Amino acid sequence: MIRTLLGRLGGLLLTLLLASIVIFSALLLTGDPIAALAGGAKPNPELIAQIRAEYNLDDPIWSRYWEWLTGALQGDFGRSFVYKTDVMTLVAPRFAVTLQLVLLTVAIILIFGVGSGVLAAIRGGAVDRTVTVLTALGMALPTFVVAILLIWIFAKTLGWFPVFGEGEGFWDRLWHLILPAVSLAVLFNAYISRVTRSSLVAQLHSEHVDTARVRGIPRARIFGAHVFRNASPQILAIAGTTIAGLFAASAIAEVAFGIGGIGSLLVQAAARADLPVVQIVSLILVTIFVVLNAIADLISLLIDPSSVAGGSTA
Amino acid sequence: MKRIGLLAGSVACVAALALTGCTADTEAATEGGGFADVTLVDALPAATQPVDEVTWAIVEGEPATLNPASSANLIIPNLCDNLLTLQPDFSIEPGVATSAEFVDPVTFVITLRDDVTFWDGTPVTAEDVVFSLRQSMNPLSQWYGAFALVVPDAEAGIVATGPHEVTVNFVAPDSTFRDALAGQGSAVMQKAFGEAVGDAVGTPDGGLMCTGPYKLEDGGWVPGSEITTTANEDYWGGAPLVDTLTYTFVSDGSTLATALTQGEIDGAINVSPASRAVFEGDGAGTLVVGPSTASYSFGPVSATSAAANPSIRQALSLAIDRQQYLDTVVNGLGYVQKTIVPEFSFQSMDGASIYQAGYDALEAPEVDIETAKQLVEESGEDLSTPLVIAVPAGSTEFQQTAAIIQSAGAQIGLDIEIDAMQASDFGALFYDPSYREGIDFVATQGYLETPGVLGYPSLFLLPAELGGVFNWSGYANAEVTAHMQAARTATDAETAANEFVAAQEIFAPDMLQVTLAGTYQLTYLNSDLTGVTTSIAAYSSPWALHLGGE
Repeated sequence: MIRTLLGRLGGLLLTLLLASIVIFSALLLTGDPIAALAGGAKPNPELIAQIRAEYNLDDPIWSRYWEWLTGALQGDFGRSFVYKTDVMTLVAPRFAVTLQLVLLTVAIILIFGVGSGVLAAIRGGAVDRTVTVLTALGMALPTFVVAILLIWIFAKTLGWFPVFGEGEGFWDRLWHLILPAVSLAVLFNAYISRVTRSSLVAQLHSEHVDTARVRGIPRARIFGAHVFRNASPQILAIAGTTIAGLFAASAIAEVAFGIGGIGSLLVQAAARADLPVVQIVSLILVTIFVVLNAIADLISLLIDPSSVAGGSTA
Repeated sequence: MKRIGLLAGSVACVAALALTGCTADTEAATEGGGFADVTLVDALPAATQPVDEVTWAIVEGEPATLNPASSANLIIPNLCDNLLTLQPDFSIEPGVATSAEFVDPVTFVITLRDDVTFWDGTPVTAEDVVFSLRQSMNPLSQWYGAFALVVPDAEAGIVATGPHEVTVNFVAPDSTFRDALAGQGSAVMQKAFGEAVGDAVGTPDGGLMCTGPYKLEDGGWVPGSEITTTANEDYWGGAPLVDTLTYTFVSDGSTLATALTQGEIDGAINVSPASRAVFEGDGAGTLVVGPSTASYSFGPVSATSAAANPSIRQALSLAIDRQQYLDTVVNGLGYVQKTIVPEFSFQSMDGASIYQAGYDALEAPEVDIETAKQLVEESGEDLSTPLVIAVPAGSTEFQQTAAIIQSAGAQIGLDIEIDAMQASDFGALFYDPSYREGIDFVATQGYLETPGVLGYPSLFLLPAELGGVFNWSGYANAEVTAHMQAARTATDAETAANEFVAAQEIFAPDMLQVTLAGTYQLTYLNSDLTGVTTSIAAYSSPWALHLGGE
């Protein structure tokens, strides 16, 4: 078990290292950072030369990568080209907002996504058909369309929710994040609901459940000890990628609702060729993806060691 | 100084115009023909009621710096005063300087008020002004063009000649210098602060020390989030009524339109004409249409392409229906503009009547497909490969602009291809020749933030060493250059005006920029508020000084 864990950890670190190389080099090969660095001034040759020297833009790419990596390992992620400030002071508060948005969305997904999947699997019949129709609808609606609809109905027409910004203080923040979280949740809800339903149905029709039923074990106990337990690795694996996907998808909701999160920061930074910010945000997103998958993997491993014996690391 | 600006785009809708509550200086705009119902307002009546907090959206996005020497945006004018104050009607009044005049053809004397203090309470001295002007004279500043005729050694060119007097020495007379002082090239910054903070002036960490009606305090700028400024109670022009003015950054047109009409954001300058219907519908505020120097145009990018041939540009111009352009791209909120220099830029200048007569004498653009086809045929250009026009990606206005130019080209035998470039690449195009390879035309929106007719055309038609930094087509007309230089070094306004008009008569038909439409300054303001400058003068003057409750 310990060996497996160490192996997973090594794989995780290797994945992150490779990702950092890809992100660093890919970004350097695209676009010219001078426009961002010049910060609105009309750059003349002197200014361009000064900027190239100051940011080591003429050094070979591997030496710049090494400098960046060693800096990052010591907590120095570089300075934003555009704001001329430490990127972490820029990213940290934004990350907190996105994290809150994602947590709220996850709560919604757990309640409605998993909930509706379970309901559909147990009840079957009309409930199952209703959930199937609703999830098909949810999967067909892109997040930005849901955002526009929600803004239209609940913010503009009914005036129940604000349409802009992230709010201050706990309750105000929560109130500001509800519509964006709902708009993000719709698609993922549908996805999780379907996976939950099909995994549970597969278990419900399996032999060992039939056997348990014949032996007269109470329904609730069968469901808890066998069905849900056996279905949970699949649900967890999907949940891991779903939550990771939420961090990336949050950009759409953040832009639509004018929320200063990490997604909208990435969009702005990319448009302005603010490379240090794009690098760090991309790396954070990749890290979240890899780590959440690994965690889902590990939990599955704990629940049912046989389920992921030959599974991949990331 | 000309700036290349971009507008955020969003949903396109059309509705009737219904402006209410705007009673300040107005004039009817009839140039566009079909839009005589647009009433232009250059400023709303000054406020009378104090307001605790106002949230203002900046549609251009968060600025990279607030240093007035290196950037122009709508936040700086409320923080840093210029020596002369640009009025909403584009006339110039005294500011931190009580007077600023040439005392002889090459000596310019600036006399300062003695009661102006910085935010920290220290008085403004001649030394501070010398420091500030030398910042702008630095080649790294975007305002240095205004100082081109000042004695090149700044130590000798700009000197303190008294506790409240600064003298600027010139190598030749400069008819444009006084007008430029109404812009940010003369923004007054504290010398001691500037020397202590160095390169960090205007950054979130470095901050600013100016004299304007609003103060930027430590921690006021939260990068990536918002900029909070507070009223300067000791402002020499009287304290503003709004206690806290917070800037937030919303570049998405539909998000902005919703937040404004729901009253969650109190106002914004440069809102998208595409959201006209939303702004004119029920909502928290009013759309105010103000005069502007802004215009849409496109011009050649290469000296070797067919685009460098004036006949090709004339032909394209003849194939474009300006009225259709106005209806489509700016939702009717614009007007037909005959040439590169719009009327509003000179209407308050000395010699305005000469400039106006020169403008009126120019041919108005018209549609003439037959002549256009003939021009293309006679041009002798090889048109076997398509001409490429670069536009910034993600902007509805520029997408439509490019599509209109493309279909106009198709009518007259010009195959035009559209290259929608990412913002950073599009920006790089203006200074890095490698980004211009394979491109023939570029479409832009530009504006002038101070009165003056020479700056903008000079960029496109003078030789590079005389300031023609965008003269990529290699345009060289000795007569034009001579008239333009004579206009700049004229010692009286009448000569300057006549020389410019003579130059314009020659360069206008060559269309170094094919002007597509003049546009208005669009401001949306909450109905409870009033007092903002609603003309293009907002870029150079404290537009929020009189902001407050009605």
